[in-house]
Amino acid sequence: MRRFLWRIANLFRKRAAEREMKREIASHLALLQEEFEHQGLAPEEAALAARHAYGGVEQSKELHREARSFVWVEQFFRDLLYSARGLARTPAFTLTAVAALALGIGLNAMVFRMYDAIALKPLPVADPDRVVRVERWFEHHWLGDIQYNFAYSEYEFLRDHNTVFSGLAAATHPLPVSATVRGLFSNEPIHGFAVSANYFAAMGIRPLLGRTFLPDEDRLPGGNPVVVIGYSFWQQKLRADPAALGQSVKLNGTAYTVIGVAQRNFTGTALWPIRSDFWAPLSMIEQLDPNFGADWRTESYGPTIRSMDAQTFADRRPGFQILARLKDRIPRKQAQAETDALMRGYLSQYRQTERTRAVTLQATAYFPNTDDIRFQAASVGILMVVSLVLLAACANVANMLLARDMARQREIGIRLALGAARSRVVRQLLVENVLLALFAGPVGFVLSAISAPLLWSAFSGLLRFSIELGELDLGSDTRVISYGLVLSLLTGVLFGIAPALRSSRGGIHPGVALHGRHDSARLRGALLGTQAAVASLLLAFCGAMLSYLHSSARLYPGFESRNVYAVPPLPGLREKLEPMPGLLVAMGRLPLSGTFTPPMRVGQWNRKTFATYASDGYFETLGIRLLQGRGFSKQEADREAPVAVISESTARNVWPGRNPVGQRFSLDLNFQNRFTGFEVIGVAADARFADLRDVDPLHVYLPSAEMGGLIVRVLGNRETTLAAVRGAMESVDPSRATPRMLSNLEDDLVAPQRALLRGLAAMAGTLTLLALMLTGVGIYGVAAFLVNQRTQEIGIRMALGATARGVVGGVIVQGLRPILIGSGLGFAAAVGLTAVELATHPFPESLVRAVFGHPAVYAELGVMLAVAVLASLIPARRAARVDPIVALRYE
Amino acid sequence: MSSKEKTGVLQGTLDLIVLRTLHTLGPQHAYTIAARLEQISDDLLRLNQGTLYPALVRLEQQGRIKGTWGRTESNREAKFYAITEPGEKALAEETRRWRQMSGLVEKLLSEGA
Repeated sequence: MRRFLWRIANLFRKRAAEREMKREIASHLALLQEEFEHQGLAPEEAALAARHAYGGVEQSKELHREARSFVWVEQFFRDLLYSARGLARTPAFTLTAVAALALGIGLNAMVFRMYDAIALKPLPVADPDRVVRVERWFEHHWLGDIQYNFAYSEYEFLRDHNTVFSGLAAATHPLPVSATVRGLFSNEPIHGFAVSANYFAAMGIRPLLGRTFLPDEDRLPGGNPVVVIGYSFWQQKLRADPAALGQSVKLNGTAYTVIGVAQRNFTGTALWPIRSDFWAPLSMIEQLDPNFGADWRTESYGPTIRSMDAQTFADRRPGFQILARLKDRIPRKQAQAETDALMRGYLSQYRQTERTRAVTLQATAYFPNTDDIRFQAASVGILMVVSLVLLAACANVANMLLARDMARQREIGIRLALGAARSRVVRQLLVENVLLALFAGPVGFVLSAISAPLLWSAFSGLLRFSIELGELDLGSDTRVISYGLVLSLLTGVLFGIAPALRSSRGGIHPGVALHGRHDSARLRGALLGTQAAVASLLLAFCGAMLSYLHSSARLYPGFESRNVYAVPPLPGLREKLEPMPGLLVAMGRLPLSGTFTPPMRVGQWNRKTFATYASDGYFETLGIRLLQGRGFSKQEADREAPVAVISESTARNVWPGRNPVGQRFSLDLNFQNRFTGFEVIGVAADARFADLRDVDPLHVYLPSAEMGGLIVRVLGNRETTLAAVRGAMESVDPSRATPRMLSNLEDDLVAPQRALLRGLAAMAGTLTLLALMLTGVGIYGVAAFLVNQRTQEIGIRMALGATARGVVGGVIVQGLRPILIGSGLGFAAAVGLTAVELATHPFPESLVRAVFGHPAVYAELGVMLAVAVLASLIPARRAARVDPIVALRYE
Repeated sequence: MSSKEKTGVLQGTLDLIVLRTLHTLGPQHAYTIAARLEQISDDLLRLNQGTLYPALVRLEQQGRIKGTWGRTESNREAKFYAITEPGEKALAEETRRWRQMSGLVEKLLSEGA
């Protein structure tokens, strides 16, 4: 051990050690010489004899060095310096290689960074590993946020009966309120949570200023109007004033006293990363959200609800998220078993609309359901796609290295001939490659740090209609950093080892060199093929995005969006709005805001369809044309009559060539295999209702006066009409009439979807272009290399009478072969991926058409082939100009 | 035999010899150690004196000997090596092991004869 430290130390005091060694050797030689002089030799002879007796001075120095330190480490540093110098000498090569690798690494790191923030980063609570979310699993497979919805009575029961949790806290889902602070701002839309009084204690959160809730501050209904405010709210809205403690904040018209300010890093524990502006005790819940009736404490999940989709169910049944802290030394499994048994036992006493089949405990993250297998599969899929891009970059850099190393064959040959070990040469080349990757790594890392927030803001823009997402912590933690580092190193080894082995083989024996070169051509072909495959896969993806974009951006979606607004369905509001001039009003779900896909049956025919609840006036309000028959009447909507309006495509698909009006079909609305019959009373024009990318292949509208939300369409002057709508909202419920309560269909739903598609198309386009460029460079390199190699052979052929045309053709074919094989494989992979997608997608047709239906795909394919031909044409022409005489004397 | 092979043969014993020399003769510089080595081994262990250095470096790094710069009787500068406390211990241990080992090998070889 001591020796090991010495050796390490000697790595750093190399010069001193070297001096010491020289001094000692000199002294030794002097002593020897003295001895020989004593024996009567002349000084010069004595010096010679001394050297002879001593042996090789240099060898002995080498032995000395080896003993005193780690030679390989020193060699490594030497290799590093040598490599760095080499890379600095060829800046164009270095820059291209670093750029290609940085893009590949950056893309990968970005995806991992997103994944890390979404699924791996723990909530900002104390000791987050011990905190779990209680999740329920419904019998009818309702999935999503609703699984984290519990009635207060369920929470209370679990809190009072469990033996495994040291703290069990209830928190509402985010509550949008309007906030007013006298003298600072009025009616600002903010988000907050009503929480049980033990919430902060259970999460182990101390306030930055003031205090959190007292143990029974949440008891008295309407009592204790106090709030803990979020750090950013304090900073931005209250000017970080320490005097904010004790100040009064009006939320939905009720005055609250600020008792504390949360720490900066405590951004909340919502299911989604939503900024928390305040936390209030549960006692204030009715004031904060009128959806909670006076009986919220005692209400169970019992009352019968008529058939409705999960989303509507969640909208109407405000509940609580349960967060629990495990007791010390209680494993999650044990706690889960107890919780499951307790909850199911409790629930069995009640009639449940949706039976809860199991209750589980989930590790907390910034997003819900991240351990869902589908989420994991999607993540792996995305990571694989971006890894392909990295692979293409690696293949290209490997190809460039091969080309460059050809020029270095001589240098390497000399080194090998001078006795450098092959392993040593490979090591040096590898160091060079890893160095390239390590340059590229940080650049890619920075790229990922810049691009991830952009992607996140696009994503949150997309969801803005249903949820107002806050910042996502995309900062680099150890996982992200080690991922980047490992990825860079792996990349370096991956693209470096093959060329390194290849290069070191040639040079020393001509025979081996020749053989090696042949291998090398094959290797380069394989690398080129890989690139072409990746490029065409990207091409297919890009084509799909482009055609989606094309159809969603240019074509009429089948409904009005610019003048359509969603209005909160406050009681009595519809009646107030209906008589207003210049305004159409209806109830129902907006397009693009989530779908409901019950199985549909007509005789033997059985498939899932999109379904939407709509009231009377729905089609007029959304501007969906009725082609045949009629829409719903008020009576039909009120009593949810067994009638339906179907889309044009549905009519065509289900009753081809027949009059659909008057036909009958049945739907399994609750997914319980209990079908309800409906009669078609009208046919509506097709719309891109579920997804902007394509017309819904099947869509049925069912009458209801209750489901979904209130929709209005402004016909007259927008400003005055909207002002009138706000006025009506205020007169119905002044506390909830905030400016943000009106959301526009175009701005909040259509535009973000288009923006995402545009972004994806732009990204895919850039990647494709990049891949094409890389491929072009690669083909040129291979073709040029082959021509160079075969100069002699070509010369002989031409001397034997081969035509220039034949030679050019031969070279081009050789260059194109890997490209053709590679793109074939790439497109096959695209088809395969599409097939996988088909198997999981409920409405498949659109994808095939999307991938291969856009002219841009063929145009890009054409460009790729043209690039390939052009890239091999230049060296091919050079081959045709080979002078047989010169060629025969070549080398 | 190349010097490399020779050190290979000597690898285990060279350290022992150096320690023993310093133990009996007191602090010595590399030259006297080498001379002593030659003297006691006759022609059997004739080696280039430079090959001694790795052993000295190793032993010093292990803390078994300690080198200090001094002057010879002829007033020449030289590095004197002295055996240290741990060096003495190591010497005792190594000697014991060596005796054990050589006895064993001797027994084995004579049995075969």
